[in-house]
Amino acid sequence: MQMTMKSWLSKSAVTLALCASTFGSAFAQTVYNIPSLSDFSGPFASIMPAFSEGRQSVLNWWNAEVGAKLGVKLELKPYDTRYDTAQTASLWPAVLATKPLIGFMLGGPDTAALQQRLPGDKVPMILGSAANGFGWRPNQWVFSMRPTFIHEIGGFLEWFQKNKLTENRPLKFAVFTTEASPTYADIGKGLVAYAKARPEKMQLIEVVYAELQPADLTLQLRRVLNAGAELIVMPSSLQQAVAVKRAMQALGKNVPIVYNMHNAPSTVQRMVGGMDAMNGDYEAHAAVIAGSDDSEAKRFYDMLATKYGMKQPWNSFTAIGIGQAMVLVRAVEAAARKYGGDKLTGELMYKTLVDVTYPANQFNGYSGGEIDFSVEAPFPTKDPRVNIGFVQNGKLTTIAPAVPAPKLEKW
Amino acid sequence: MDPSGIFFTNYASDRSLIRSRPQGLVLIVFLACLVTLPWWGGDRLISIGYAMFITCIAVVGLQICTGYAGQINLGQSAFMGVGAYGTVLMLHHFHCDAILAMVVGGISAAIFGVMFGITAARIKGFYLALTTIAAQAIFHFLILNLPGAWLGGAGGVHVESAQVLGIALDQDRTIYWLSLVVLTVMVTGAFGLVRSRHGRAFEAVRDDDVAAGMMGIPVVATKARAFLVSSFYAGVAGGLWAIALRHVSVEQFTLFNAIWMIAMLIVGGLGSIVGALVGTVLIQFAREGVTTLGPHLIEWLPGVGQDFLFASMNVLLGALIVFFLLFEPKGIMYRVEITKRAYRLWPFPY
Repeated sequence: MQMTMKSWLSKSAVTLALCASTFGSAFAQTVYNIPSLSDFSGPFASIMPAFSEGRQSVLNWWNAEVGAKLGVKLELKPYDTRYDTAQTASLWPAVLATKPLIGFMLGGPDTAALQQRLPGDKVPMILGSAANGFGWRPNQWVFSMRPTFIHEIGGFLEWFQKNKLTENRPLKFAVFTTEASPTYADIGKGLVAYAKARPEKMQLIEVVYAELQPADLTLQLRRVLNAGAELIVMPSSLQQAVAVKRAMQALGKNVPIVYNMHNAPSTVQRMVGGMDAMNGDYEAHAAVIAGSDDSEAKRFYDMLATKYGMKQPWNSFTAIGIGQAMVLVRAVEAAARKYGGDKLTGELMYKTLVDVTYPANQFNGYSGGEIDFSVEAPFPTKDPRVNIGFVQNGKLTTIAPAVPAPKLEKW
Repeated sequence: MDPSGIFFTNYASDRSLIRSRPQGLVLIVFLACLVTLPWWGGDRLISIGYAMFITCIAVVGLQICTGYAGQINLGQSAFMGVGAYGTVLMLHHFHCDAILAMVVGGISAAIFGVMFGITAARIKGFYLALTTIAAQAIFHFLILNLPGAWLGGAGGVHVESAQVLGIALDQDRTIYWLSLVVLTVMVTGAFGLVRSRHGRAFEAVRDDDVAAGMMGIPVVATKARAFLVSSFYAGVAGGLWAIALRHVSVEQFTLFNAIWMIAMLIVGGLGSIVGALVGTVLIQFAREGVTTLGPHLIEWLPGVGQDFLFASMNVLLGALIVFFLLFEPKGIMYRVEITKRAYRLWPFPY
């Protein structure tokens, strides 16, 4: 009985010690607010849940497995800015009142509303999409994990010209984009400058500026195909991507189309008759190809789905949210290791973002390569890489990982 | 209708905007509250405040064109954009005082707007609405296609903090006060304008432009003038907006914004300056309210998805506007006027 009592006492002491250490570490965790600017009621409302869950599940994972050891907890605070500059501008002071450490941004309107005031407010923000030409300026506090769309498309075009043409000659390609959005208009201009600088490799047939949500693009596609286009570059809206694919089907042609992450073949296929209809097309960008591969990124997604509340399906939108969040948590991690988990500020986060080069293996396959930000450019410039996916037999698989993106001049 | 016992013995008093001492007192208290808000209100309220003041200026301008002169105008957002670019270019290239830059912004918007006023001489109603949509398309096209060195192209134009009389506009508070002063001046101007012979000409053209012409009112000039004034207001609002954000780009001025302004006008009541202000305040508060409520609801109801909650908030906003239009299609000022008259006549029916 005495022994039993002794053992009971010792067990209790161990339990108490464990509880104390657990609670101790929990209480020692410094909580930081992470604003998550979202669009649940604007043009991206349909894909926002995927983005949002990507962000949240990564934070759940990081808090439990990394943050707990560093004494840091990141708490996501979602805000609906409706993809509207005015809404973001008027909402921001409320966000600032929560003393955010670093945050998530969605796109152009958020950037337009805040980019001039963020250096004063000392809050760096992470963007999920690729960067653009007009954001390529020094002293930016809005960082993009991917290089510009032109870096991404350029990387693919050079790979295609080298590997898919039977002879060494310029690749004839056409681009479909729109002037309705500054980002997409900038892509058109950037690709003109890109092709002009490489006449020995690239021949740009035409940049077709169409509506953002076109009913039909058959005439325009026929025109560029008759002019000899061997590849169609499709960096614009999902609706345009669908219209170009439908036009290709209507014309009975099979010229390859290269899509980006936001209009990936896995999304377009739903509107054009299934994944088999996408055979022969490509997806290229500096992030993970959310395809059928058993990749490191997919396994990470599966882990998030099993343990950390991820319910959205595996697709490019979920991958954007996860990738964006991976950059954010790795930056916080680096800052916490350097300055201490309880001493983090927005300014230290900015310093960490521009000072540290993040190796590709930190991102579980969600980045094109290593990520380095600098004061001169708020996106990776040292050695940006592009992943290329290809649709064959109704399946999207990565056929060329980490293809180097070209060195570009500002356009 | 004035309250019982209030009468005037000279023309100047009879034309006064403030009809009684209590009215004046209420106005002073109200203005004092607005002026002191940055001291007792939070940062969020300050930012909502200046966004609201800026929108009010544009909507008051729209009221003059649409509510008083009867000219449908869906280009107000584009006119704001022209004013914003005009202001920013002045600040960027000449580093001038913000007031001067805003005036130049307003004038540039007025010049752009008057072109659509001239088209209103030949077309009206839905056709005019379509023409003013063209302002939106032209604005967008010009900004994106003119050389980037002129207007910044797709990336827009950045500008450092502007100054007014040597005071830096680098704080939300200073922007708030500047917006309040500009709004006060513009609203006072609007009251003066609509009670002048130009205002009477606007109303005559709105009610029957053929009859107005026969009465000797220059219909074409009056319509053009309505657009001129309206787009000047929009331009000044755009200039303030650019000063507040320190950045201007084409995507800040969309057709969707113009439609929201029309909604504010309808909710407040057509043909009333106060209606334009009330409509803007109501809609802006409703929008800000649902945006603020969303994150709190997510904390209180963690089981419900963010997408569902935020979407519900916007359904609620839409439902409120529809409900309002169903039960008070003439705008809130119409109901206010009826209530005020009934109160003043009580216990007599008329």
